[in-house]
Amino acid sequence: MAKLLGSPKALSITIVIAAVFVVSILGGALGNSLGFGFLSSSLPAIQLPAEIVVQGFDTPVGDWDLMNTMVTTWLAIIVLAVVAIFVRKGLSEVPGRLQALFELVMEFFINLCEGIAGPENGRRFFPLVFTIFIFIVVANWMGILPGFGTIGRVADPSEIAHHHGVHHYSDPAEDQGHQTGSSHKKASGHGEEHSGHLEKVNLHVFSGTGGIAILQPGSLNEEITFHDYEEAHGDVGEGKRAGHLVPFLRSANTDVNMTLAMALIAMVMVHYWGLSILGSLTHLGKFINFKDGPIGFFVGILEIISEFAKIISFTFRLFGNIFAGEVLLMAMGFLLPMIGIIPFLGLELFVGVIQALIFSMLTLVFASMASVAHGDEEHH
Amino acid sequence: MDALGINLPGLVTQIISFGILFFILSKLLYKPLVSLMDQRAEKIREGLEASNIAREEAARSEEAIQEQLSEARVEGQKLVAEARETADRFREEEMARVRDDIELERVRAEANIQRERDAAIEDLRKEFAGLAISAAEKVVRTSLDEDGHKELIESVLEESTSGNN
Repeated sequence: MAKLLGSPKALSITIVIAAVFVVSILGGALGNSLGFGFLSSSLPAIQLPAEIVVQGFDTPVGDWDLMNTMVTTWLAIIVLAVVAIFVRKGLSEVPGRLQALFELVMEFFINLCEGIAGPENGRRFFPLVFTIFIFIVVANWMGILPGFGTIGRVADPSEIAHHHGVHHYSDPAEDQGHQTGSSHKKASGHGEEHSGHLEKVNLHVFSGTGGIAILQPGSLNEEITFHDYEEAHGDVGEGKRAGHLVPFLRSANTDVNMTLAMALIAMVMVHYWGLSILGSLTHLGKFINFKDGPIGFFVGILEIISEFAKIISFTFRLFGNIFAGEVLLMAMGFLLPMIGIIPFLGLELFVGVIQALIFSMLTLVFASMASVAHGDEEHH
Repeated sequence: MDALGINLPGLVTQIISFGILFFILSKLLYKPLVSLMDQRAEKIREGLEASNIAREEAARSEEAIQEQLSEARVEGQKLVAEARETADRFREEEMARVRDDIELERVRAEANIQRERDAAIEDLRKEFAGLAISAAEKVVRTSLDEDGHKELIESVLEESTSGNN
């Protein structure tokens, strides 16, 4: 310690780190309770469904809206496509660095596939397994970049009310120009219907009226509940507006639609391979089994249930891990601004690649299990 | 379902998106890169096999060369030995012939010498006989005194020596 403080360089570094810690603690949530909290920002509204960036159109099976997770999915696809084009263009017998990197990773996966599913089936399973892996990794790692979840448009109170099940909410700020009384009655009437549920929802107050808003440090105190918002007749101050931030970008796998889509593709392909490798009779015989008596039939039903369980576990394992990671990063940024997030960024990098590996490995294992007839294992 | 955010249009969109990604990656990345990697692996294997074959061949030819060398060495030794033998024989023969020649020459020379000597002896004898006869003639012809005899014999001898010379 004495040695550490003896050298001027080490001493100054120690002082800077300590100062950053003090500023971080005072500026964060803890400091906020003591009356500081100059760095902390409002926690963004955390919700499971992805947020709508642009309202889309109606389809017979529901509304199609442009979700922020779709934007990220397409960004990840564009990134991968551009990289793939670069690799394709520079393809040579003596590999460059980018090609060598891809060869390394692909070789690893090809060996893995061939090791688990055998040389012939391994080659067949490899493209899907590798696509799942690389897409999840890229999407997860993109999701922890700065700007994800913090830059977006502002959803106004009526949109938020709509989200909370109040479909005919009229914003007092918009109605203020006309006759205040009736509209206010109407709004509060709806509020009563929902027994105060909506009234407790917090709104954030954003400065400016432009299309893009950023959750910035030092805006923690500018929060207002729906109740207060209505009391103030939608007046939150000059040049300010209330609402929720709808981020333009949100990590692709924090949307159940994305993970469910991959789970469905994976399981459909697993059964397609099962059918084409074993033949439809053998493969379906695993699930609808009359040969081994009532117990065999029951086991077949259990197998059917387990196939659906696989889809659900695929979906929610990835979704839960990545969503929880996002929330964790938000919470740490809220508790200890600037520095609290650093170790968890490393953790999220790790979780991102591990989850990708789990998803792709499970796909591979299920595929190789589906390509083996059941009877073989049992009668041996 | 609504609370989780699952909606059919969104799900279908994501399925299509993933399908597009799968298509792009298989077209651009997997097919060319995997085939390239396979080709390279094949090439490397072929190269290794070729080098193995070359090494074996080299070992085999080395062996053959060694064999040929030893054969050649044996052959050479045999040739040298044969040459030496031939040379020996030739020398022996030559020497024998020379010896014979010398012997023959010697015998001839000896015979010559013998003949010369015989001839000389014959000549000498003839001369002595002649001398004796002439001396006797002179003795008989002249008066027989002591001084006369002595002078006579000496003159004969002188005549004979000068005649011989």
